[in-house]
Amino acid sequence: MTEKILRGGEYLICDIPCADVFTPEDFSDEQKQFGETTERFVTNEIVPHLDEIDKQNFDLVVEGMQKCGELGLLMMDAPEEYGGLELDKASSMLVAEKISAGGSFSVAYAAHTGIGTLPLVYYGTPGQKDKYLEKIISGQWCAAYCLTEPGSGSDALGAQASALLSEDGTHYLLNGTKQYITNGGFAQLFTVFAKIDKEHFTAFLVEKDFEGLTVGPEEKKMGIKGSSTTPIILDNCRVPVENVLGEIGKGHKIAFNVLNVGRFKLGAAVMGASKVALVTGIKYANERVQFKQKISSFGAIKEKIADLTADIYASESLVYRLAGLLDTKLATIEKGGDNYYAAYQKGIEEYAAECGISKVFCSEVLARTVDEVVQIHGGYGYVSDYPAERYYRDERINRIFEGTNEINRLLIPGMILRKAMKGELPLQAEAMKAFEALMTPSFDAVDEAIDFAAEKALLKNLKTLFLILAGTGVQKFMDKIADEQEILMAAADIAIQIFALESTVLRAEKTLSAFSERKQELLRAAVKVFAFRASEEAGSAARKGAFYVEEGDTLTMILSGVRRFSKFDATGLLAAKRLLAEASCEEEKYLFN
Amino acid sequence: MNILVCIKQVPDMESKFRIDASAAWFDTADLAWRMNEYDEYGVEQAVRLKEQVAGADITVLSIGPDKVKETMKKALAMGCDRGVHITDSDVSRRDPAEIAGIIAEYARDKNFDMIFTGMQSQDRGSGQVGVLLAEMLSCAAVTTIVDFSYREGRIEVKRELEGGIRASVALNIPALVTCQLGLNKPRYPTLPNIMKAKKKELLSLPVEDLRKLESRQQTARIYFPEKKGGGLVLEGDPARLADELIQILKQKTSILA
Ligand SMILES: Cc1cc2nc3c(=O)[nH]c(=O)nc-3n(C[C@H](O)[C@H](O)[C@H](O)COP(=O)(O)OP(=O)(O)OC[C@H]3O[C@@H](n4cnc5c(N)ncnc54)[C@H](O)[C@@H]3O)c2cc1C
Repeated sequence: MTEKILRGGEYLICDIPCADVFTPEDFSDEQKQFGETTERFVTNEIVPHLDEIDKQNFDLVVEGMQKCGELGLLMMDAPEEYGGLELDKASSMLVAEKISAGGSFSVAYAAHTGIGTLPLVYYGTPGQKDKYLEKIISGQWCAAYCLTEPGSGSDALGAQASALLSEDGTHYLLNGTKQYITNGGFAQLFTVFAKIDKEHFTAFLVEKDFEGLTVGPEEKKMGIKGSSTTPIILDNCRVPVENVLGEIGKGHKIAFNVLNVGRFKLGAAVMGASKVALVTGIKYANERVQFKQKISSFGAIKEKIADLTADIYASESLVYRLAGLLDTKLATIEKGGDNYYAAYQKGIEEYAAECGISKVFCSEVLARTVDEVVQIHGGYGYVSDYPAERYYRDERINRIFEGTNEINRLLIPGMILRKAMKGELPLQAEAMKAFEALMTPSFDAVDEAIDFAAEKALLKNLKTLFLILAGTGVQKFMDKIADEQEILMAAADIAIQIFALESTVLRAEKTLSAFSERKQELLRAAVKVFAFRASEEAGSAARKGAFYVEEGDTLTMILSGVRRFSKFDATGLLAAKRLLAEASCEEEKYLFN
Repeated sequence: MNILVCIKQVPDMESKFRIDASAAWFDTADLAWRMNEYDEYGVEQAVRLKEQVAGADITVLSIGPDKVKETMKKALAMGCDRGVHITDSDVSRRDPAEIAGIIAEYARDKNFDMIFTGMQSQDRGSGQVGVLLAEMLSCAAVTTIVDFSYREGRIEVKRELEGGIRASVALNIPALVTCQLGLNKPRYPTLPNIMKAKKKELLSLPVEDLRKLESRQQTARIYFPEKKGGGLVLEGDPARLADELIQILKQKTSILA
C-alpha cells in the first residue's frame, strides 16, 4: 500500500493504482481461519435447523448466538480491555459474509453485533461497558436497537418517544412505541432513542427487565421469518440516569454513525447470501433435465449464471476494497486515547458515501440473484420445498432496512457534494476539466497490450460523465439540488457503478498474475461482463439525468457526452459469458472464492 | 507427555481436479487447500489428551511448501503447542516410505509418547505413512481407531471391523494411532485462539536435512477411469414405462429370461 490514503468520494476524481486496493486474495491466514470457523459453524449448527428457526423457534436462535459467543464471533469489534478482539473491518466483513448462509439467523447475528453492540462500544462509559459488554460479546445477552417508530422510519429524528427526568433526578421515564425491532422477542438489552423534554434526541441503554418495558407481539413477515421483529412499548419505563448513552442531545450521532458500519456490513452479508443462492441455482441447473438436456446447457440459463457470477465478483471486490479503505484509515488513529472512538467515528464517516454504495449495490445484486435463481428453478422455485423460494422472500428486506435504498441513494451524492462544499474534494475544479473534455474531441486509442485497458478507459470516462452531470446539476440548482431527488438518484447510480467497476477492475488487475492461465481467462471474462453492465447502467442513468437537468443545445451536447463517455467495446461478450457459465456449471461453485 | 500429530494439507475434495503435465499427479493450480479430514481427528484427539494430562505438549508436524503453514496454524489454533514445518516443494512426488522416513528422522530423538496421524490422506490415500513411521520408530501402532482413551501410561482404543463388529485394543505408550472418521468431532478454532496461535512457535526445517531414505515406488500415471457405457433414461407414462422396462430386461439381460 502506498502512503496516501484515499479520501471518501475521492475515487470519483482520481486514478487509483491497483496496489492500493485490498482484495479477498490479500486475506491473512488468520482471516481465512475466521472465515472457515464461521462457515463450518453455520453449515453444521445453523443451516440444518433453518426450517425450525423459520417457524420462530427462537430458542434455537438464542442457542446459536450463545455458540457464536463461545467461538468469539460476537467480540470482533469490542475493545481488548473488555475481552474483545478489536479486529479489523476486513475480518468482520468476512464473518458477516459467511454467517449469511444462516438465513434468518444471520439477521439476528447482524443486528446483535452491529446496531445492537456498536453503540455501547463506541459511546459507552467505562461503567456501562463493565456492566454490559461482557454479557453482549459472550452471547449471554442478545442486543437490539430501537430507533424506528410507527410514525418515523426514514425520518428517524422525527421520533415521538419521550424521556423525562424523574423528580428525584435518578431516573428518566421513557414513553412511546418503538416498532420493527429486530431481536425484540429475546433481547435483554435495548439501545432506545428518545427525546428528552421532547427536544434533545438521546440514546438510552434499557434492560428488558426495567419496569415499564413491554415486548409486543411478533410481526407476521414476508421473509426472514425466523428473525424476531416486535414492537417495544415504553410506558413510564424507568431508566437510571447512568444509562444515558453518549451525550444528551447527541443521539443522532449515535444513530447515524452506527448505521454507516451497518450499511457496509449489510453489503458483506448480502454478498454472501448471493453466493449461496447462486450455487443453489447452478446445482439445480445441472440437475434439471428438459428436452433431454440439462437446463444448464441452454444459453438462456447460462447467461443468467454468467451475469450473476460477474455481479457477485463486483460486490465482493467492492466490499473488501471498502474494508481495506476503512482499515487503512482507522489504523492511523492511535489506540487508547480519550478521543479514540470520536476519531474512529470520523474515520468511518469519511466513507459514509461508500458505505451507502455497499448497501445499495450489494443488496440489488442479491435481488437480481434470488430473482434469477427462482427463474432457473421454474415452478420448483415457487414452492417452498426448494430453498430458492425462501431466498426470494428473505432478500426483500435488505433494500428496506438500514436506510431504504432511496435514502441511501440520496445520501451518496449528498455526502460527496457536502465534501466539495467544505473544500475537502476539489469537485468543482474537476468538473471544469470534465466540461473541457466534453468540448474537445478525443482520439485516445485503447492500448490492447495493457490488462483491462478497455475497462480502465471506461472508468475514466464514467468519472468524467459523473462530473459533467453533477456539475450541471449543481450549477443549475445550487443549494436547492437536494430538492431534485430524481437527479440525485441518477447521480448516485453513476457513482455506484463507478465504485463497483473500479473495485472490480483493480482487484482483477492486482491478482491476475497469481492465477493459472485458465483462471485468468475467467477473470477477464468476469470483468468484461460486469463492465458491460456498468457501462449500460451508468449510461442509462446519465441519459436520464441529462434530460432532467438540461434542455436545448446544452442537452444535445451533454447527450453526445453520455454516448461518448459510456461507450464500451465489449467485443467477445458472448464468449465471455459462455466461458463463465460453463466453468461455473462444471465446478458447481462461485468461481472466484 | 510429549505428543506428535502429523498433518497433511490436501485440496478441497469438492474441487474440479485436472491431471497435470507429468500425468503423475493432479494440477495444483487454483485449488483451495485444507487439513486432511482424518488428520483433523488426530489433532482433536491430541488436544483432548492434552486437556486430560497436565503438562502435556503437542507438536504438530507437516511437510510441504510454504502454504502448508496456513493449515498448521489451524492445528495451533485448535490447541497444538508448537509447529514443525518441513519445507519441501516436492512433497507430492514422494512415496509413503520417504515421507515416513522424513518424519522418523525428525522424531527419533524427541521421545514422543503418543503419535497421531490420519488413517490416510484424502488425496493420495495410501494409508501407509502412519504404520511405516511406527515401524521406523519401533513403536506399536493401531490403525483406523474410532475411540480413544488414556490411563496411566496405557491407551485403550476401539477399531471398527466389518460386519458391525468392534475391536477394543489396549497397549502401552509410546504408541502411534491412525485416526478414522467417527473418532471425535473436531472443534472449530475460536477467534481468540486463532489470534493466540499467531504467537506460537512455528519452526521451519529444510527437507534435505531429514531425507535419508530413497523412495521405493513411483506413481507411473494417474488418470480418470474410462466411463462405462452410459445409462438409459426412460421417460413418460409410468404404466408404459414399466412395460418398456420389462421388455429391455428381457431382451438385454438374463434377469427375466
Ligand atoms: C424486518 C424489519 C426489521 C427491522 N429492524 C429494525 C431494528 O432493529 N431497529 C430499528 O430501529 N428499525 C428496524 N426496522 C425499521 C426499518 O429501518 C424501517 O422500516 C426503514 O428505515 C424504513 O422506514 P419506514 O418503514 O417507516 O418507511 P418510510 O420511511 O415511511 O418509507 C416509505 C417509502 O418512502 C421513501 N422515503 C421516505 N423518506 C424519503 C425521502 N426523504 N426521500 C425520498 N424517499 C423517501 C422510502 O424510501 C420508502 O420507499 C426494521 C424493519 C423491518 C421490516
